[in-house]
Amino acid sequence: MSDTQLSDADLVAGYAPLTVDRDTADFYRGWLARELRPNRCADCGHWHHPPRPMCPACWSWNVEPTAVSGNGTIYLLILLHQGPPAPGVDYTAGPYPVAAVELAEQPGLRITSTVVGTPVHELAIGQAVELTWIERNGLPFPAFQRTEATS
Amino acid sequence: MSTRNPIKDQVAVVGIGSTGFSRASDRTSLSLALEAATAAVRDAGLTAADIDGVVATAEPGGPSPAAVSSSLGLDNVTHYTRPAPVAGFSFVDAVNAIASGSCDHVLVVFPFLRLPWASRQAANDPFRRHLQTGMAAFPESIANAAGYAAWASRYLYEFGASRDTFARIAINQRTNAAQNPLAAIQTPLTMEDYYAARMIREPLCMLDMDLPVDGADAFVLTTAERARDLAQPPVLVHATATGLVAQNDEDQLPNIRHHGQHVVIDTLKAKSDVWIDDVDVFCPYDGFTIITTQWIENAGWCGPGEAGAFLEQHWDDASNRVLINGRVPMNPHGGSLSEGATRGTGFLRESVTQLRGQAGDRQVADAQVALALIGGFFFNSQGAVLRAG
Repeated sequence: MSDTQLSDADLVAGYAPLTVDRDTADFYRGWLARELRPNRCADCGHWHHPPRPMCPACWSWNVEPTAVSGNGTIYLLILLHQGPPAPGVDYTAGPYPVAAVELAEQPGLRITSTVVGTPVHELAIGQAVELTWIERNGLPFPAFQRTEATS
Repeated sequence: MSTRNPIKDQVAVVGIGSTGFSRASDRTSLSLALEAATAAVRDAGLTAADIDGVVATAEPGGPSPAAVSSSLGLDNVTHYTRPAPVAGFSFVDAVNAIASGSCDHVLVVFPFLRLPWASRQAANDPFRRHLQTGMAAFPESIANAAGYAAWASRYLYEFGASRDTFARIAINQRTNAAQNPLAAIQTPLTMEDYYAARMIREPLCMLDMDLPVDGADAFVLTTAERARDLAQPPVLVHATATGLVAQNDEDQLPNIRHHGQHVVIDTLKAKSDVWIDDVDVFCPYDGFTIITTQWIENAGWCGPGEAGAFLEQHWDDASNRVLINGRVPMNPHGGSLSEGATRGTGFLRESVTQLRGQAGDRQVADAQVALALIGGFFFNSQGAVLRAG
């Protein structure tokens, strides 16, 4: 699905309960194209997340959703033994991992999602991961998986 | 960072009131707030006619300052605000209101209800269905409470620390709660109990998380000068602080060595004539045990990653709790883990109670200085230094 085919109303409804507003819509439209596009300042080059309407480093309003490689390292990691319901998430089958992944593009720039493809108790902070995509409510949803080199 | 402190010792806490805390009440926020409020005003030796300021924290389901004022028949109120939850915001606002002359006697009320997302019993109570959830509505988030589990994982990883550190905090609070008649839970805890507790957001288990309760606390503050004429021994506000860093979203915090607590500590130290060597009562917040771990280290009792060794070194085996240098207790009231989750009011109330010399069996001898460090890492780090007047 292209990132322009979905109406604003369908984008908002499709990614609920995430907050999609005029400052974050382009980030979520990136998901439709299976790209992770945090805001980057076109003037000073600083990345930030979650999306703000201006660059917190230089106060430029010239910020642009910009695709990242999706490569990074697990920085924070929790295993949810119970938690909010979501399609495809079954806490009774075992804990559900949620990680804040520090992206290769900039120290401290992190994206939080689940990690797939590895038994949860083999996951650890410091492991290299890459972006992958799962499906949630029929729409692409970003996730991470351990990279071949380290798994 | 401002190091000016014109409020130093100029404002006093003169009234405290508490309902005590329960996991089984069927009362409303308003009912609990009014019980604590009237108790605090009476404790100060004041009446409704004296109260011209109302600070009502914006807890879910909690009454507005207007509703508090109309319920108590307060006329001619000149300062009324509704700060965000976590006690320091309301406390700092109340202190500043008195210091600035915005009002003369301010009532601060904090009601707490078990919310449907945190208590099965509350979820089944039809009268609580209107209360907001406060939880992320999707799993792939470390916002709110999950943020503390996430940074607990980072703490364990970076310092090679053991969960024993968290366990000792939980055990200490439970031991202390046994001496506090207001506490919701007083059954002693063992290390075995801790490791047997149900994992919720690994690496944090149920005993790492504060206890949802119903109840309310209230405080009355006025000028230090006026306090000398009132009913109770005055407790002076020596310094206050709230702290925030630029990247304060839970998953964007720069690292475990730079967050709101560091701003609070730097500010309080700069504004205070006293610090931890002078402290008689130490009340670090424990909404999650990792928060206490960080307050202990950031206050300067030990270095980063050393809280576990510090707690072990200062553990009093005879009483099964922390006694720093054999003398200073940590959260003698039992904290949010065992007295109940009051978003920091318990730490202020216990500081006042101890500095008045009214803490009964748990009284610290000749307590003169209390350090209350409230809130977490992200957007509610706060602190206050209080002194006996």
